[in-house]
Amino acid sequence: MGGKTDVWQGTLALMVLRTLESMGPQHGYGLARRIEQTSGDLLALNYGTLYPALLKLEQEGFIRSRWGVSENNRRAKFYELTKAGERQLKRATAEWEQTTEILARFLAPAQEA
Amino acid sequence: MLRLLQQPMRKCRAFAARLLGLLRARRADADFAAELEAHVALHTEDGVRAGFTPENARRQALIKLGGAEQALQAQRERRTLPWLENFAQDLRYSLRTLRRSPGFTATAVLTLALGIGACTAIFSMVYAVLLRSLPYGDPGRLVYLFTPDPSLHLPPEIFSPTNADFFDIQRENRLYSNMSFVGQSAVNLAGQGAVERIGAARVDENFFSTLEAYPEWGRAISTGDQLQGHDHVAVISHALWQSMFAGSPDVLKDSISLDSVNYRIVGVMPPEFGYPHGTDIPYGNAEVKTTETWIPLALTPQQKADRDNASADAAIARLRPGVTIREAQSELGIIEARLDKLHMPLLQGCGALVKSFLDIVVGPVRPLMNLLLGAVILVLLIACGNTASLLLARASDRLRELGVRAALGAKRSRIARQLLTESLLIGVGGGAIGVVLAWLFLQVLPSLNPGNISRLGEASLDARVLLFAVAVSVLASVLSGILPALTVSRLDVTGLLGGSSRAIAGKHSRVQSALIVAEAAMVVVLMASAGLLIRSYINIASVSTGFSRSTVSMKISLDEHPGVTSQQQAAQRSAFFHSLIARLGALPGVSDAGAINYLPLSGSESLDTIWVDGYANRKDQLAEGRSITPDYFRAMGIPLIAGRAFTEADVSSHAHVVIVNQRFAQIYFAGRNPIGGRVGGDNRHWDTVVGVVADVRHFSLEEAPEPQFYHPDYGGFDSAYIAVRSTLPSRTVAAEARAVVRTIDPSVAVADVHTMGELESEASAQRRFQTTLLTLFAGVALLLALAGIFGLMSYSVSRREREVGIRMALGAQRGDVMLLVLGNAALLLGLGLTIGFGCAWFAVGVMKSFLFEVGGHDPLTLCIACVLLAMFGLLAAIVPARRAASVDPMQALRAE
Repeated sequence: MGGKTDVWQGTLALMVLRTLESMGPQHGYGLARRIEQTSGDLLALNYGTLYPALLKLEQEGFIRSRWGVSENNRRAKFYELTKAGERQLKRATAEWEQTTEILARFLAPAQEA
Repeated sequence: MLRLLQQPMRKCRAFAARLLGLLRARRADADFAAELEAHVALHTEDGVRAGFTPENARRQALIKLGGAEQALQAQRERRTLPWLENFAQDLRYSLRTLRRSPGFTATAVLTLALGIGACTAIFSMVYAVLLRSLPYGDPGRLVYLFTPDPSLHLPPEIFSPTNADFFDIQRENRLYSNMSFVGQSAVNLAGQGAVERIGAARVDENFFSTLEAYPEWGRAISTGDQLQGHDHVAVISHALWQSMFAGSPDVLKDSISLDSVNYRIVGVMPPEFGYPHGTDIPYGNAEVKTTETWIPLALTPQQKADRDNASADAAIARLRPGVTIREAQSELGIIEARLDKLHMPLLQGCGALVKSFLDIVVGPVRPLMNLLLGAVILVLLIACGNTASLLLARASDRLRELGVRAALGAKRSRIARQLLTESLLIGVGGGAIGVVLAWLFLQVLPSLNPGNISRLGEASLDARVLLFAVAVSVLASVLSGILPALTVSRLDVTGLLGGSSRAIAGKHSRVQSALIVAEAAMVVVLMASAGLLIRSYINIASVSTGFSRSTVSMKISLDEHPGVTSQQQAAQRSAFFHSLIARLGALPGVSDAGAINYLPLSGSESLDTIWVDGYANRKDQLAEGRSITPDYFRAMGIPLIAGRAFTEADVSSHAHVVIVNQRFAQIYFAGRNPIGGRVGGDNRHWDTVVGVVADVRHFSLEEAPEPQFYHPDYGGFDSAYIAVRSTLPSRTVAAEARAVVRTIDPSVAVADVHTMGELESEASAQRRFQTTLLTLFAGVALLLALAGIFGLMSYSVSRREREVGIRMALGAQRGDVMLLVLGNAALLLGLGLTIGFGCAWFAVGVMKSFLFEVGGHDPLTLCIACVLLAMFGLLAAIVPARRAASVDPMQALRAE
């Protein structure tokens, strides 16, 4: 467990949006598992914190939810991206990329300077 | 970083969703429980597939979830608005605690209600008088134009431009978008049966466009209306439309008779429009309170060219956007410098003055409104201090309860918030009752109205005033709640629960003591201010006016008869007044009757340049000149000091005689016998002084009498005030006089029937108004402060019962105990008095302009204020002191 990182404040929403985009409609448990797998099991995700984040995204209109049936025939709540969510994902991705790029320049070994 | 992306709209949407979440809490909880259930089941299935036992797998799933209950709570907090839920909880809790101690609640609410009520009432008045926008477009750009002659030593606002000057300024200026010339007068309006006297304005075609106020019905006065023969049209006020024509739309086909001339009605102004009001035009016609009709000024070309004699009462102009008064002033200076040379030599020397419309219209009452606002703010602060003190006392009684809450995990901010919620509830209650109090105040306000504050009657509790009341209530709750909330939340749990509550209470009572000291200081300032006003009022009331209070006066105005020569007109008037005075004097019960053209305290004035034989005369010698009938002095009860009064023979023979007042004699006949002296005016012959009469206060009660002189006359006035001295009640006299006037000429109106005493009381009405209000507020403040002292002393006695018990057990007498408590109160009062005395000493400087023959630093008034507070303060402390003295030492010691 020691090698795992906590989820940074605010990045969970972006991960959720991105995962929903690539996987399509998904229930909470599936989302949580997928986020962990995608991170190469480097993230320690407290599953309990996922639900308030989902609720917040839903309140903001980026995702919507409805009850459905899972692959092994269990009733579960499925989340899917809305149009606004798709736009938000694009924006957030661009912004995040820019941020990491800026940060990368600072952290890169100072060979050229 | 992602947070930056959240647009405000999304936040709003989320907020709305959370607000809705509050309503659907139960269903959403069930929904989420089902979702979690599914989550755990899915996770468990995965675990079983990976080879765990079902129990183990489920345990793992729950651990990974971080506990079902915690997840549920986190979800709940996100779903709804926790602070709103907390607030609702605090509200319920506060309501319960407040209901549990009704005595405390009632005291706190009523205290705040007094403060908020006073503030709201005065604000509604100030709002109506000063702040509510006038019914003219952008009044900030309106100005008055004057052309004062400084060498005459008269107020510059007396000098409006003469006709020719006005039209030249209108042609040459570059800075005004519009200019208008306005004449103010009172006219006889013929109604059903009786003739009524109303305010009228003669206006040019630019009047309505300059003010940017237009008729609600019909049209305004136009350029065509200014032509001779087309000028008998009138715009009437909304009130007149309602009273005379019952609001009928056919009014535009109707006409009104003003001074026996018919005017066709062309328009009706909106209800709020009444410009010019009596106080709108400096030194305007005091008979006019509000204008009811507007008719064309209709100047002939000859009149327009008159540069030396004719002028309207006011020249108003609207500045072009962006133009300052200073720029307008310098432009008018340049124009008038050229025009001045065109005047006849005696009238040269005119300057230029541009004054803001608002300064003239609302400026005069502004200091009074500020004074009253200042006073109610002090009252509000005292009320807040009292409530804070009460809350503190209660908080220290509740230390244990608060300690338990803190120990059970309540955050300090939560405890502070709960206490603030309580004071907010008290503030809301106080605000509600305060608005009722303000409403009651507004019901009695009309009876206090001194009559010279325009728009005072329009004060009402409209939306803005109510908004103000809400704001003041919230402010008051925060002001009184913040101190207790801070002190309590700063204490630690052990302090709250442990035995040291006594020390904490001590700390509290130090804060409370400071509050009482501050309150006492503010009360001293208020009482000293009220005291100064009361003394000024007493001084005014004891001023000798020079005339008898019981004399009945009334105004009689004769219509102008165009087409009659001035000699014929004078003869007609003379005959009218002769026969009127003679018949009035002959009425049973009437001892004397006389007439004068300008009655004292009627707001009218006429100044003449005079020359006195044997005196070093100067150019600007002015005196109040009057025309009177022979019996005027007897009718008014003005004593003759020397010489003789006028006789009928003086009038009929046009004798060159004059009577002067004492002041005149003192100045111009110093060291000489005035009788037989000679007085003259411009282009006039000498008149011989035949008598000296006592001084009369003419313009106001507050100004020392000026030199006055009287000429005998019956026909020199188109309107005159009749003075009747009789033993009959004033109403009978008025009825008799009306009957007499009707038999002579039924078209003549009898107006302004008053006893001179009533005029005197009207002249001091504003003083009475301000004195009454300030005294009322000082009284309320004193009452509040006494309640505060009583409360604090009772509280500290109840806290110190044990100490008192020990003292008594050790041999202290009951008297000593009483002295201990009283000494404590005296100390606080003394401190407050000292500070208040100092503050009052500086604060009353502001009041200088409100005082009459009292110095601002009047030691007597200040001392009386201090002594009163000290006396009442100790009285308030006596009850708790007696209770302390009656403590049974055994009981007290056993209690804890």
